[in-house]
Amino acid sequence: MASKTITPVLPDKIITGKEAGLVLCTECHKVHRYIPDAEQECKCCGAELHQRKPDSINRTWAFLIASMILYIPANTMMIMNVAYFGVDEPSTIMGGVILLLQMGSHAVAFVVFVASVLVPLFKMIGIMLILFSLKYKVNMTDRQRIKMFRFIEFIGRWSMLDIFVISILAALVHITGVAEITAGPAATAFGTVVVLTMLAASSFDPRLLWDYKRNNYKNTELNQEPAAD
Amino acid sequence: MQVVVIGRSQVINSRILLCHECDLLIENQDVCEACKVQCPRCGHILYKQKHNTISRSLAYALTALICFYPAVTQPIMTLEMSGLSQQQSLISGSLILLQEKYYVVAILTFLSSCLVPLFRLLLLTYVTLSITLNYYHKSLIWSFRLFHEMEEWGMLEVYMLGIIVAVVKLLSMAEIQPGFGLWAYAALLLSSILATTVLNPHEVWDALLERKTREEPC
Repeated sequence: MASKTITPVLPDKIITGKEAGLVLCTECHKVHRYIPDAEQECKCCGAELHQRKPDSINRTWAFLIASMILYIPANTMMIMNVAYFGVDEPSTIMGGVILLLQMGSHAVAFVVFVASVLVPLFKMIGIMLILFSLKYKVNMTDRQRIKMFRFIEFIGRWSMLDIFVISILAALVHITGVAEITAGPAATAFGTVVVLTMLAASSFDPRLLWDYKRNNYKNTELNQEPAAD
Repeated sequence: MQVVVIGRSQVINSRILLCHECDLLIENQDVCEACKVQCPRCGHILYKQKHNTISRSLAYALTALICFYPAVTQPIMTLEMSGLSQQQSLISGSLILLQEKYYVVAILTFLSSCLVPLFRLLLLTYVTLSITLNYYHKSLIWSFRLFHEMEEWGMLEVYMLGIIVAVVKLLSMAEIQPGFGLWAYAALLLSSILATTVLNPHEVWDALLERKTREEPC
């Protein structure tokens, strides 16, 4: 069923729900009156109501820093050991990519490189950039920042690829004495990095991106929000 | 701005929308069949007016549930090497990692490739079946919330890519045969993706809250 997309006209005077004293239930999409200084629950679905996610910036920083620390052992330690006729051949994440390149499967090497090296790196740098943009002036438009955040949220889970590959290989290549593939300590670190970056993205409240601009340029740019592109 | 308070409750007139991603307040006047309403400031899709998605989603969810058992227990691939063979299924990867004492990785793979997808399918079937049969229970509300919250932790499609990468890595050193589990898994993946993409969550919420207000107004 083809559906038409309609975009309401951007009002001349932009009012956010927070300024109007309203709060949105993020679960069932009902709009409620906000009661300040009270723990409010959605009358319809029972979800907790917050105008902004509580402690969003602190929590995001905490998950982000933890994931950055674990990213180091995830890349330097052994992620997988291939024992072929008794000869051990441990490899790191990058080692696995290089091995795939040598085998001639460039497309798969590229996919693994993107999913397990570029995606976590891009996520961590991207979230950090977004957090910095709330404090300092960053040369990005609001649209670019929200697009980057949506992209970060979307790609996060694809880093689990390497973990799944290890679990498949470990189960499949398990012939004692001939060939045996076992996981390494970096697998735990890498799995934790993926979970932590996903938690960092989900604890960030994108509405803060728009609040910042309004708080800082209240009178000058209030009515000059960019129109939809 | 027109704010209508219904009874003693605090729900505001449904014509007023707040954007999830930028908190912009929008008064929605346009009502049309099969429309998407997009936020004019950040581009987020605020509302979809797509109907009759619940029964289709239920059909896909039931298909996925039927495929689930063979997909998890039947061998996805068989490896043959030097006259010996080894089979692998969706669940055996987690079990091997558990034996090797990589608890975090084992639990992570088990959750994201088996338990969360199964649980989400069960919740979806429960909610859509109840709406279709016009049955209402309090637990439907939190079931659908939980279904939505677990969305990004079910990673069946990432596992598919994992299978492809693993096959390419092994092709040079051994012979690999696809098993029945692979086809069941592909069917599970396809039907569970369709079940979630076809569904319009706004329609489910409308149906659930309409039934709820019959018992106690919200």
